Amino acid sequence: MHPLHCILPPHMLEQIAENGTQRQREWALHTLTATEQFRGQRHIAGQVRAIAAAVPAVQRERITYDAENGTALPGRVARSENDPPTGDPAVDEAHDGAGATWSLYQEVYGRNSIDGHGMRIESSVHYDRGYDNAFWNGKQMVYGDGDDDLPEAERLFHRFTVAIDIIGHELTHGVTQYEANLVYWDQPGALNESFSDVFGALVKQRALGQSAGAADWVIGAGLFTDNVNGQGIRSMAAPGTAYDDPVLGTDPQPAHMQDYVHTSSDYGGVHINSGIPNHAFYLAAMEMGGNAWEKAGRIWYVALRDRIEARTTFPEAANLIYRVAGELYGYGSLEQQSVQRGWAGVGIDVTAPEQPGCWERLREIWTGQRGAGNED
Amino acid sequence: MRIEFERTGGFAGMGLSTSVDVADLSPRDQETLESAVESANFFQLPRQMISAGPGADRFQYHLVIEQEGNRHEVEVGEAVIPDSLRPLIEHLSMFARTGRLR
Repeated sequence: MHPLHCILPPHMLEQIAENGTQRQREWALHTLTATEQFRGQRHIAGQVRAIAAAVPAVQRERITYDAENGTALPGRVARSENDPPTGDPAVDEAHDGAGATWSLYQEVYGRNSIDGHGMRIESSVHYDRGYDNAFWNGKQMVYGDGDDDLPEAERLFHRFTVAIDIIGHELTHGVTQYEANLVYWDQPGALNESFSDVFGALVKQRALGQSAGAADWVIGAGLFTDNVNGQGIRSMAAPGTAYDDPVLGTDPQPAHMQDYVHTSSDYGGVHINSGIPNHAFYLAAMEMGGNAWEKAGRIWYVALRDRIEARTTFPEAANLIYRVAGELYGYGSLEQQSVQRGWAGVGIDVTAPEQPGCWERLREIWTGQRGAGNED
Repeated sequence: MRIEFERTGGFAGMGLSTSVDVADLSPRDQETLESAVESANFFQLPRQMISAGPGADRFQYHLVIEQEGNRHEVEVGEAVIPDSLRPLIEHLSMFARTGRLR
């Protein structure tokens, strides 16, 4: 079975491939190469090559700044794309981590940087003093040095570049901003956080060459000093168990809808309830097996790019991701079933049909998928 | 003067909070906090200052100050902290982290 089983005369795809926006052309290219139709109809091959040639060559451009313990951004240029390591661990970790994240998006998912159009990747390190945080400010990534302003016995946090998944997490906030643009509040905000944790974890697993089964699925491992009783900030495998410490308290993340936390703090608990979609991803990826960035990651990425919208809720995301899994890997495939069981494992039942109806599919193709119409 | 301070959000999503009865502090620390509250013009600040711009993993601060029968409460996003309020937030963050102002 293939994704566009019921309709899709090849001339429609060709039309999109010729006249669509860059996004639509990339989509058509993907569809042409992914479906059995392509294998059956050789005349499309030339078309595919022409489209591929029209997609501009990708070039990575990173620039890493030193905020020199101030809060003015971006700061002094510390390392540009092709510069050798500086010897400052914060600069080099931010730069190399941004490179590894760019590579996951480019080499595995075919995405050209944060915005999909080769945007320069900017990071600033040594932000402020005693700054226990990393963030995305809408344009760039920013990293604090943790508790390095305190005596060693009082320190809880190392510098925030120390874990490569934090870098993948922050850069993914940029990707989300340019795609689904999930609002930063309640369930859409927790999904926003979860996509950042998912791709942060995948950047790390790919960098280490770890399969789903070999990975620790901990976000921010290595960030705590020895003064803290914890393995990291969040656990995708077992949300709520990442730390349990007399000073920091206990990891508040739920792993199931029945423990969903209703709060107005933290933008409606975006870093708390992200445990639920995080665990759904973990369960699905573990069932699919192999390298999580290859299949589960691709499904989640395509959903983030093409389906999830600003106010998507957990149950809506479950349905959208389930449909993407069917389109990419076949209706009723192991991958699609794994997605269903992943969400069921956190108390969310997928209600979408295994396979969409023809009219629904036709409408999507002609109206352009979400996001396709407002690019270029 | 009594101050309640809470920080939420951030990448780690871990809350940080403290309450300070300023009269219990050393004269030097009392002076530091009182002058920071005054420079911030705290009792005239809007109750809510939330950034509408894009971004993620920023801190959110919630401050309540009671002084001589006045009580005022301010919620402010890290991206939109007025410069006049920044020193007070820095002092209170340090106090919450270490139990000291410096």
